[in-house]
Amino acid sequence: MDRISRRAQVLNNHLTQSPPPTVSSLQRSPCLAFSPPELTEKAHFDTAELRKLTDGHNIQDRDWLYGLMVQSKLFNPRVLGGRVFISPNYNQSMEQQREMTMRRILFLLERGVFEGWLTGKGIEAEMRKFAFLEVVGMFDHSLAIKIGVHFFLWGGAIQFFGTKRHHDKWLRDTESYAVKGCFAMTELGHGSNVRGIETITTYDSNTGEFIINTPCESAQKYWIGGAANHATHTVAFSQLNIDGTNQGVHAFIVQIRDKDGSICPSIRIADCGHKTGLNGVDNGRIWFDNVRIPRENLLNSVADVSPDGHYLSSIKDPDQRFAAFLAPLTSGRVTIAVSSVYSSKIGMAIAIRYALSRRAFSVAPNEPEVLLLDYPSHQRRLLPLLAKTYAMSFSANYLKTLYMNRTPELIKTIHVVSSAFKAALTWHNMRTLQECREACGGQGLKTENHVGHFKSEFDVQLTFEGDNNVLMQQISKALFAEYVNAKKRNKPFKGLGLEHMNGPSPVIPSQLSSHTLRNKQFQMDAFCLRERDLLAQFAEEVLKLQSQGQSKENAFMLSYQIAEDLGRAFSDRAILKNFIQVEESATDEPLKGILALLRSMYALVIMEEDPAFLRYGYLSTTNATSLRKEILVLCKEMRPHALALVDSFGIPAALLSPIAFNWVDSNAWSPVQH
Amino acid sequence: MASSASIPPRNEEDQVLVEEKSFARILVLNRPKQLNAASFYMISRLLELFVAYEKDSAVKLIILKGKGRAFCAGGDVAAVAHNIKEDKWKLGAEFFRKEFTLNYVMATYSKPQVSILNGIVMGGGAGCSVHGRFRIATENTVFAMPETALGLFPDIGASYFLSRLTGFFGEYVGLTGARLNGAEMLACGLATHYVPAARLPSLEAALLKVPYTDPASISAIIEEYSEFPTITEQSAYKRLDIINRCFSRRTVEEIVSALEREATNVKDGWISATIHSLKKASPMSLKISLRSIREGRLQGVGHCLTREYRMACHVIRGDVSKDFIEGCRALLLDKDKNPKWEPSTLELVSDEMVEQYFTKLDDEDWEELKLPTRPVNLPSSTIAKL
Repeated sequence: MDRISRRAQVLNNHLTQSPPPTVSSLQRSPCLAFSPPELTEKAHFDTAELRKLTDGHNIQDRDWLYGLMVQSKLFNPRVLGGRVFISPNYNQSMEQQREMTMRRILFLLERGVFEGWLTGKGIEAEMRKFAFLEVVGMFDHSLAIKIGVHFFLWGGAIQFFGTKRHHDKWLRDTESYAVKGCFAMTELGHGSNVRGIETITTYDSNTGEFIINTPCESAQKYWIGGAANHATHTVAFSQLNIDGTNQGVHAFIVQIRDKDGSICPSIRIADCGHKTGLNGVDNGRIWFDNVRIPRENLLNSVADVSPDGHYLSSIKDPDQRFAAFLAPLTSGRVTIAVSSVYSSKIGMAIAIRYALSRRAFSVAPNEPEVLLLDYPSHQRRLLPLLAKTYAMSFSANYLKTLYMNRTPELIKTIHVVSSAFKAALTWHNMRTLQECREACGGQGLKTENHVGHFKSEFDVQLTFEGDNNVLMQQISKALFAEYVNAKKRNKPFKGLGLEHMNGPSPVIPSQLSSHTLRNKQFQMDAFCLRERDLLAQFAEEVLKLQSQGQSKENAFMLSYQIAEDLGRAFSDRAILKNFIQVEESATDEPLKGILALLRSMYALVIMEEDPAFLRYGYLSTTNATSLRKEILVLCKEMRPHALALVDSFGIPAALLSPIAFNWVDSNAWSPVQH
Repeated sequence: MASSASIPPRNEEDQVLVEEKSFARILVLNRPKQLNAASFYMISRLLELFVAYEKDSAVKLIILKGKGRAFCAGGDVAAVAHNIKEDKWKLGAEFFRKEFTLNYVMATYSKPQVSILNGIVMGGGAGCSVHGRFRIATENTVFAMPETALGLFPDIGASYFLSRLTGFFGEYVGLTGARLNGAEMLACGLATHYVPAARLPSLEAALLKVPYTDPASISAIIEEYSEFPTITEQSAYKRLDIINRCFSRRTVEEIVSALEREATNVKDGWISATIHSLKKASPMSLKISLRSIREGRLQGVGHCLTREYRMACHVIRGDVSKDFIEGCRALLLDKDKNPKWEPSTLELVSDEMVEQYFTKLDDEDWEELKLPTRPVNLPSSTIAKL
């Protein structure tokens, strides 16, 4: 019907447009007029309700901040195809981009966006802060990172590593940007391995001062966001040496610039230079030349040094001390995981909207060209990623809630879950952006269309706050400890969602009907089976290597293949579990239906894509074939909901891109709107 | 908003006069005694005509104007309020359904609409003009969205067009009900042209003679008669800095306190007048209006109208607050200008109460606003509104 009316319209245009109007300089051919998908694609569920589930919290606050950015000239609005789009001008020099980032921060500050970010109390204030950071990051990753460094790293270090005297002195001033903070942890020679850093601090009891020094080039602080241009203060991480004894890594407040922005004496700062992304962040390098700071500048929540130079700590074991120290840094992994989902959402919304308005090739002569998303292959490329993005989104919300309600007992869980989700979600984002880039063809290469450009902006997420591969191994180590503990003491598994290990091993039916494949119990069984078997295999391999005389660390290292499979199995199972919880919380029938569809797509695509299912025989080849067929059916069923599903992300048009809307008009020769 | 006289019009069909001039249709709103307040009949008739003209290939241009000193002083709110009192809120809902449908058709119209705003343009009057392609203001134009003073909220798709004005001017206009003159309407984009009233007859004649009816040619003709009036120093438009600083704040409470802070820094009668308007308005109206404009900024026009329809139904059903009835009583019926709002302060209006207005109505007979199907060959300026 659609084709017929389209064809009729084309013919009608041919007949009624002659002779061609003579007014405008150039008239585009009516055959290639943009047809807005809104007119033909109808929502079969309440998109506002689905948005509530995906954004999870602070919807009006998000909309306020979107509006604040859209209405400000500072956010570089451009009108294309009759719509406003905002995006930084990435064609500016690195220096200009950095200045714009700072100006935008000061604008948001003035409008009250940061109120309560450090001085506010309670979960509500914290949730709003997360929501705002997510929104800002959708406009520009640099802007979010620069804000994140100041509030979450510098501000967070003072909150968590400091005590009352630090809170009183610094938090208010940080919130108002009276001081601009940075976070000097990583060095040229040490990144993920913080315990190996080489910066060294001693104490002078005569003057009551610490002396911080960069002893060699590999100890220079590296990648310090904010250091190159703007930061006035830093939290410097350093080994603390008291009377010849190294007490491990500690954190100190050091002023690096004065009020006028001049670099302080005994501090040297250099630029990290142009990067493949995030050029709006002024990453710098810092050398400390025996900088003297007052004793009070030690952030002393875990350990202190008395005026006469005695080391005092309630935690005697340096390993535990270090762990207690770094635990609060989890917030970084939480924000990274969440922001990567929002990047995926932008990519998906753009690629799917484009696929709903762009046509290529006719199936038969004289037929209209086919809409990209009506090609089954195009559906297979994009729709499973859309389902995954929903799955990741729900888990990002779960992770935030887990982090908000943290207690000392939950530290381990938060560490493991945040590592798992940070890795899973950021890898998913890069893969999604690459697929979206290709799905948009050449248009995907234009910076203004985001999908290609975001790859370089968000790539850093795979390694910062812990290299994803290292994180995967850490998850497996933690699971190994749980396994050994349970087996040795003959106690049931408890926590990390491992309770399923206590029951009998699930059985996968030899024949998988469509009904079974879409059954959430079956899906969960398959995921649990993979996890429990991989964990058992991993433990067996490590223990075997140990019995052969390898150290535990060596044994872990040698078992990295299964460790990574296991890390992924743990993440996928946890994500599926969170999805099912969201689905069960929904009350609206059409919404439940769409969630079930997405969940099945997520689960089946994971099973299809992870070779572990076939490699270790959790699925037979017959099973795998049924699964593959079912995915095609799911694609077909998801297709009519595609527009509504990306609309439910609640991302304003201004943050998407010209190809997501009237790409004919936004590329037209004459900028005059008709 | 206009108060409607109790005398029914002699002949309902006279409420919209139609002149056929070759390819153009001139529609004249004709209830001059009621300042052309849009009655249910008038709206239905306009909708009927617009739908018919869209299909009629002989019609290429629609000119809309008002008889007397008003273009249109708003929807016939008093009639709606009367229905509510009679416990017939669903009749009121029908009024809004029809009116918003007309707004949607105008906003997504495939042919140019020229509205001549030579007089009062308020509420529903803005709804039948601002969505169209050309809006001509004159020295006689007085524009306002006064709904918050009446216990209502800027409806008729205002959350779409107010939110798209420069900076936070839309929040200012929508929350305070501030009056704008023709020069200000042009400056902020609510009007597309400003033509001195004396030139209107010759402009109209020129429009009827034009051989081309594409928007660019029509625009060129209007421009020949246009002027760029200066904006006086007293104008709100000269205070965009303050407006952006204050009306961009997250909540109504913060907007008020930001204005109060400004007032302590500078002596400016405009600031105190603005604060006064906000204090006089219904607290509930202010909060739902702000949220509506904020959401509207991120939504297409159809979505805005659907949401506003939900809101309007909640307002007239009075399930959260009965401020609309009270506002109509105080301003239109008893005219004591002293409404007793309930809740009486901003602090007493909770987020949960506000949220209510944005949900579907739990009434078996109630339906969402169903937007009419639009032709696929829409001009690109219209596509951008979807």
